[in-house]
Amino acid sequence: MEREVNAYKCRKCGTLHYPFRMVCKNCRANDYFEFDIEPLPKRGKLLTFTFIHNLPAQFEVARLGLGIVELENGIRVTGQVDIEDPTLGMDVVGNVEVVRHDTYDDRYGFVFRAA
Amino acid sequence: MRDVYIIGIGITTFTRLEYPLSEIAAYASMGALKDAGVTDVDYVLVANMGSARINNQSALASAVVDTLSLTPAGAVRIENGPASGASAIKEGFMAVASGMHDTVLVVGAERMREVNNLEATDFVATLTHPMAEYIYGVTLPGHAAMFTRLYMEKYGVTERHLAMVGVKNQNNAMLNKDAHLHQKITMDGILDSPEAFTNNPWVAEPIRFFDCCPVSDGGAALILASKEVAEASGKPMIRITGIGQATDTLAVHERPEPTDLMAVRIAAQRAYEMAGITAADIDVAELHDAFTILEIAESEEVGFFEKGTGHLALERGETAIDGKMPINPSGGLKGKGHPVGATGVAQVHEIVVQLRGDAGERQVKDARTGLACNFGGFGNNVVVSTYARED
Ligand SMILES: [Zn+2]
Repeated sequence: MEREVNAYKCRKCGTLHYPFRMVCKNCRANDYFEFDIEPLPKRGKLLTFTFIHNLPAQFEVARLGLGIVELENGIRVTGQVDIEDPTLGMDVVGNVEVVRHDTYDDRYGFVFRAA
Repeated sequence: MRDVYIIGIGITTFTRLEYPLSEIAAYASMGALKDAGVTDVDYVLVANMGSARINNQSALASAVVDTLSLTPAGAVRIENGPASGASAIKEGFMAVASGMHDTVLVVGAERMREVNNLEATDFVATLTHPMAEYIYGVTLPGHAAMFTRLYMEKYGVTERHLAMVGVKNQNNAMLNKDAHLHQKITMDGILDSPEAFTNNPWVAEPIRFFDCCPVSDGGAALILASKEVAEASGKPMIRITGIGQATDTLAVHERPEPTDLMAVRIAAQRAYEMAGITAADIDVAELHDAFTILEIAESEEVGFFEKGTGHLALERGETAIDGKMPINPSGGLKGKGHPVGATGVAQVHEIVVQLRGDAGERQVKDARTGLACNFGGFGNNVVVSTYARED
């Protein structure tokens, strides 16, 4: 299933936000429904990463790659990293997939792989 | 504002405790009440992060005040993540400074060992951004690891520096009877010998087991009082000279400079400004070393060392008990333990012990002023406070 991870663009000043917030952090415009939804680009650079070894039971893997990626439009996101031996600054491309199985729901988010 | 003093302190051993959370809080409180020589208070603040989820008990303050037979004093639970403890001290400070109350009990307590380590880690991870971080499996060790990697890249911090923080703090904890870890560790055992990485496996690369604080149960308590009450108590006059708090973005990835801990820096500036002092005036500090990198980074952000040089000061021994800027003589979270809601109160407990000159083998010589940094979230909610002995 194709899902998107979205940024939120202020209708007053154009500032992009990810994740969602109710008030623009740049102009503090305070009208309701003042953001336009804008899908995030998929390509970016890996800023930092880790492999977590002690995971909650929902994650049925021995170690989980996680990272922060700066996308092409300058927005940064946290996501899972499915790369054997990543390096800082490498080019990556994200795909939106199931990242966590909760009791009632599958959660979708970015999984990054080498570009 | 009125001046506010700390006239009583109490603490439990930090370890796995087999009695109810409200009794952990009450035990620490009884120590503080006895130390202050009072049997009654006007107001009770209970710092705790997880009672409703981990211990299946909500409205913890009502249970604590009743267990202590302090009813009908007002009582409130303060939940502010890992900064709950110092946040409660700040509320207690304001209650006395405003003139509304004369004597306030501030107690922090947590009982985390009621669940297993993975559940405890997952519980603490619920403080991250629910949609942008938590769903991915981000944990606090994960945040610390990503931060550590950037710090290594930018400033030349190595695994050796991280291990040095762990060795220093666990060895300080050997001198603290209430500390969780009484296990002497060496650079050889956790870094240099062939079996080191068997002893010290990855938790979240590049941080290892001995870079992380233990999961602890425990409680710590303080009695805050007006000057009049403090003078009548006959206890050493230890004044809360400054308290600063600051916040930062919930999602760590949104910060413009990911190696900055802006909230630590601003909270410290606010505390110094209130106290009318600078970092150079501090004799002893307790910093929030839930992960070894945090002691290094916080020591810079509170102004003890230039940004990017904390690990060099550590190498020179400046942060040892007999160094120029002693940090975490109690053992810190790393050695003393980290019962989350108790931690911010326990840090100030140690500062008071040091300023009273009661720290025995871990006493910082001639300590007259102290600082505590209680770090909530991954740096998104931080309280820094300063103390001075006045008599
Ligand atoms: Zn705007």
